[in-house]
Amino acid sequence: MHKKSMLFACITVLAVVAFMAGCAGMTAKPTEKNFKAPTVTLSHVEVQTYWGWWFFSKKIKPAKGKPGNYGAPLDLAFIFEIKNPNDFPVLMEKLQFTVGFEEYDINTVGSTEAMWIPAGKTNEIRIHSILDARQTQLSLLVTGGFKLKKAGKSFWDMLEKWWTQIPDFSFPVHVRDGSALFKADGLVKAVSFNAKFP
Amino acid sequence: MDFKKKWFKSAAFIIIPALVLGVSGVALAASVKVGALNDVTGATSDVGKDYALGIADAIRYVNDNGGVNGKPIKLYQFDYGYRIPEALTKYKLFKRLGCVAVLGWGTGDTEALSPTITQDKMPYVSASYSAHLTKASKTPYNLFAATDYSTNARAAITAWYDTRWKKHPDFGKRKPKFVCSYHFAHPYCSAPIKAIKDQAKLLGFEVGPDQNVSLVAIDAKSQVLAMKDFGADLVWHGNTTMSVSATIRDAFALGLKADHIVNNWGFDENLPRLAGKAAEGVMGAAVCAFFGEKVKNMDKVVEYAKKYNPGVPLEKRLIRTVQAWANVLALWEAMKRADKAGDLTGEGILKKGFETFKGVDIGLGVPPLTYTATDHRIAGKAPIYEIKNGKFQLVELVDLKGRWPEKWEKEWLGW
Repeated sequence: MHKKSMLFACITVLAVVAFMAGCAGMTAKPTEKNFKAPTVTLSHVEVQTYWGWWFFSKKIKPAKGKPGNYGAPLDLAFIFEIKNPNDFPVLMEKLQFTVGFEEYDINTVGSTEAMWIPAGKTNEIRIHSILDARQTQLSLLVTGGFKLKKAGKSFWDMLEKWWTQIPDFSFPVHVRDGSALFKADGLVKAVSFNAKFP
Repeated sequence: MDFKKKWFKSAAFIIIPALVLGVSGVALAASVKVGALNDVTGATSDVGKDYALGIADAIRYVNDNGGVNGKPIKLYQFDYGYRIPEALTKYKLFKRLGCVAVLGWGTGDTEALSPTITQDKMPYVSASYSAHLTKASKTPYNLFAATDYSTNARAAITAWYDTRWKKHPDFGKRKPKFVCSYHFAHPYCSAPIKAIKDQAKLLGFEVGPDQNVSLVAIDAKSQVLAMKDFGADLVWHGNTTMSVSATIRDAFALGLKADHIVNNWGFDENLPRLAGKAAEGVMGAAVCAFFGEKVKNMDKVVEYAKKYNPGVPLEKRLIRTVQAWANVLALWEAMKRADKAGDLTGEGILKKGFETFKGVDIGLGVPPLTYTATDHRIAGKAPIYEIKNGKFQLVELVDLKGRWPEKWEKEWLGW
């Protein structure tokens, strides 16, 4: 009986030691020195849903609802690859960037949902930028109005071009001023990124 | 057998509490939920984007420094595109999520939400500094860590009168001529108009016809020509930076011989960049220090901008970031006080937090904050700056409360 108990205890101790050693082997301890910056790469951009090009001014009486300045929506999805080059998992807490059509900034979007990226692995994340022609007109005028004026371009021409040509991506869509925030065991690393599609 | 029993007992003693603690770890670190409404895509995105970045940076700073007495803040931050219906929808979401306070944005949505937040007892710290939100008996849950638009407007016209008109050759011979340029339909732009015209009357101005300039204007020639016809000596600009710079550029190009004073959302580091020479001599209200100025706590603002948004160059950051920090730091202090008093509720944050402030110094060039149960104007003095060689210089710290104490106390609150 005593022998049996001893054997049982030994097996338990060995199992615990083996488990702990296994865990220790799986992940290194993050330090300032060994925490490498993860990379954020734009894989591609998709037109997630397309409603075409249209705009109704508030002078038009709608069949239902209230009159207003309503423009066609545009749902773009940005798919990023987030690569963790470390030997330990990292937590991505934030990813944010500005969407640009050609040289004009249009929208700022991101995700603040936490995402764990396993050691040495690459995760993918899809971030939507939902625009509409009216919002884009306002944003374009307050942030790029002088640029348009200097270039002798009308904002209506630009909006129509973008909304009708986006299915083919005949103009470049930019990711600007991007930043992502990663954490590992209390350490923080922020990375910046920019990209262009196609 | 005995040994086995003991072993299982010991294991249970160690493993069960560990499991319980592990599972409930998240619950133990209970967070304080705060909502934020921002405009990064709408008609005020020229100033709203930087403010939104500042809100997120400041909340990170708060959490890195213990949150609300050990409880981290969970921020729900949304872009509402400066659309009032969207703001109302998002506010309802904040309530469902259990937010204890909201960091709001525009005047239209803040004023529209004011009766609702009063009923809900939800502290609403906005980037709208409309004086309509300062009368605590009417809008008790509206707050902001800045001097209000009407105080800014009264201070700006007074500073111009003191420093420019008194040196003008026509001083004492005729009335100075004054016009207002702003987007009539937007509550932010129209909020201080009544107050600035009242101050103009007080100082003896002749007031000309208002000029309607869109918030998204890139051309304001017809309005500038109307100002010229009137013979304006001074123009108040009530829009945001992009539209203000368009008007000032056109005024310069068309030879309008008037000076310009600007409300705070039209007066930032982008104004001299966009308006160039036309911005020289323009005066305006700034409710805090400009980004990077050497004042208390600015080192934190710059550090967090660098640390958490490395993709955005520092030269693109604006005073808007600093304004966002000011609101967050004020709310943080109020929440810590309420929590310490054991009442981290909307009512607690207001009464045991904000309304206990007596000259609280949050740095950042913001005047010391005082809120009372009747008056949510933070201070009676407002600094007015001017642009010289592309840089901002203090012209005068206008002491409205000191110069017109009776009017300040009895007449000017709430509009």
